[in-house]
Amino acid sequence: MENFEALMHGFSIAISVNHVALMIGGVLLGILVGVLPGLGAPNGVSLLLPLTFGMTPVAAIILLSSIYWGALFGGSVTSILFNIPGEPSSVATTFDGYPMARDGRATEALATAFGSAAFGALVGVVLITCLASWIAGVALQFGPAEYFAVYFLAFSSFIGVGGAPPMKTVVSLAIGFAIAAIGMDTVSGSVRLTMGVDELVKGINFVVAVMGLFGIGELLIAVEDELHAKPVSSKIEWRILFRTLAGLPKHWVALLRSAAIGCWMGITPGGPTAASFMSYGIAKRVSPRRANFGKGEPEGIVSPETADHAAGTSALLPMLSLGIPGSATAAVMMGGLMIWGLNPGPALFIEQKDFVWGLIASMYLGNIVAVILVLLTVPIFAALMRLPFFILAPLIFIVCVVGAYSVSNSYLDVVLMMGFGVLGYLFKKLDYPLAPLVLAIVIGDKAEDAFRQSMLMSQGSLKIFVANGLVTTLVCAGFALLLVPPLFRMIGGLRGRSR
Amino acid sequence: MLSRRTLEAATAILTGAFGVAVMVSSLNNGIDWSESGVESGTFPFITGTIVAAASLYNLVRGWMRGTGIVATRAGLQRTAALLLPAVLYVALIPLIGMYVGSAAYLFGTLRFQSKLSVVRSGLIAIVASVALYLVFERAFQVSLPHGWLGVVLDL
Repeated sequence: MENFEALMHGFSIAISVNHVALMIGGVLLGILVGVLPGLGAPNGVSLLLPLTFGMTPVAAIILLSSIYWGALFGGSVTSILFNIPGEPSSVATTFDGYPMARDGRATEALATAFGSAAFGALVGVVLITCLASWIAGVALQFGPAEYFAVYFLAFSSFIGVGGAPPMKTVVSLAIGFAIAAIGMDTVSGSVRLTMGVDELVKGINFVVAVMGLFGIGELLIAVEDELHAKPVSSKIEWRILFRTLAGLPKHWVALLRSAAIGCWMGITPGGPTAASFMSYGIAKRVSPRRANFGKGEPEGIVSPETADHAAGTSALLPMLSLGIPGSATAAVMMGGLMIWGLNPGPALFIEQKDFVWGLIASMYLGNIVAVILVLLTVPIFAALMRLPFFILAPLIFIVCVVGAYSVSNSYLDVVLMMGFGVLGYLFKKLDYPLAPLVLAIVIGDKAEDAFRQSMLMSQGSLKIFVANGLVTTLVCAGFALLLVPPLFRMIGGLRGRSR
Repeated sequence: MLSRRTLEAATAILTGAFGVAVMVSSLNNGIDWSESGVESGTFPFITGTIVAAASLYNLVRGWMRGTGIVATRAGLQRTAALLLPAVLYVALIPLIGMYVGSAAYLFGTLRFQSKLSVVRSGLIAIVASVALYLVFERAFQVSLPHGWLGVVLDL
């Protein structure tokens, strides 16, 4: 009940002309970066981050989170209409979305995607509304050891269930840690890993890394694969649209299952991409209509889309209540929070009530605004997709260069971004996951601080990580996530051989 | 043509070299236990070791199991056609600045790679640069580099 009152208070903050205008602007920009291959929500959020420094924190977070909702929706549009996922998390939507569109069922496919996406987001927001304060309350009892255990759990969930080859995930994660360590050490004040480059004392900004890894990296891949967009009819037939939306509840099993997967993956930072793949994979295994998967089965759109949005939304829960971002975009937003002078974590719920509940209320509104706008703008973006890629590519490139430079007026950042771009290209090409890298860059030094503080408290004894029930459970869960999937694979392999 | 095996090996060597560099560099900060707790080089040293070890595993695995083609010659040419002018553009920024650089880069790629007409390429290039100037220098007061050219022209 207390949460409900807080939510109503949040609505009173979120609903103002200024905020709704920011929401509409943010969603439109988000749809744009979501639709464009090569740009994604992390780019949109990173690009606008410098503009938010003069705003109030509530207005700033509403703008940034609206970009996020917009991008999540926009990514599905191109996946379905052109078989080009605008966002990594909407790759799984192409499997059944594009075949449907090709068969002339574009409206049905889009409506299914938006409907299930909205449902997923709603479940995510309700989860945040009900659990945020509670999780924050529990988190207040956390000491350095517990924090480190939570980080450990987050990191091992990437290695275990992320889907990428485990050793490649380890490389990606550890490189992220090393990059986070570059510059001034927050505990001792000494300068680390600058390799003689004085300018690196300030460290490597995560925005620079994100722009290179996602923006430039994906652009290079897209050019190499020579994306042949074969536009199909993008006219929206309103009658079919409403009929499809009304018929969505018949997929209730898939909706609920995917929402659960999405929320879990969002809270333990598996992220929307992993969530959508996992959900599609499971649906393909258990659905009674699994034979149709890949040929244009609506359930093949419902599953990844619901999970994608549920994960995208609930990824903000660990960011707000624990200070651990659940996705790359949440990681970028968390960086923003720190720049605005807010300290993400349990104390936020006590010190910044207006901010937290204003944000949660704006999630309900933002998603409604996003559904309406994405439906209205489909024809426009379909027209934009007809702009030849050879004109789009250099433009996107210039946007990334200017963006990287303006982060801290440093030419070195532009050069670094190029380096990250090549790294992103190589990693994408060879199935190294990018999300753990970004995650480690953002929270790597916090994990290190937590570890070192625990070590100081225990005088160097690792026993502190099994000192009480909570921390032991977290550490054990972390090890389980790390070790169980390879064990299953080994058992599966042995069985296969004995047959 | 680029085989998966070669690219896997090259990437693993690259990440491995980074790991070793991190290990060596963090030795300067100390990797021991002191009165103020763990010394500041310890954590980077561990991550560097993990990167190096996992890269070695990826190197061997990629070399043993990597089969097939990861990029065709035509694909690589397209990538190079985007990347090389872009690298040149970034390299020239200290000299000619970001506005002139962006315009030249856009004009060059559109005119010579995409074979657009001089007028159309020029128009797109100029409009894009002016838009950059208006948005960054005017609207948001973010000064982008004017380069050596800017100094000479006293901008």
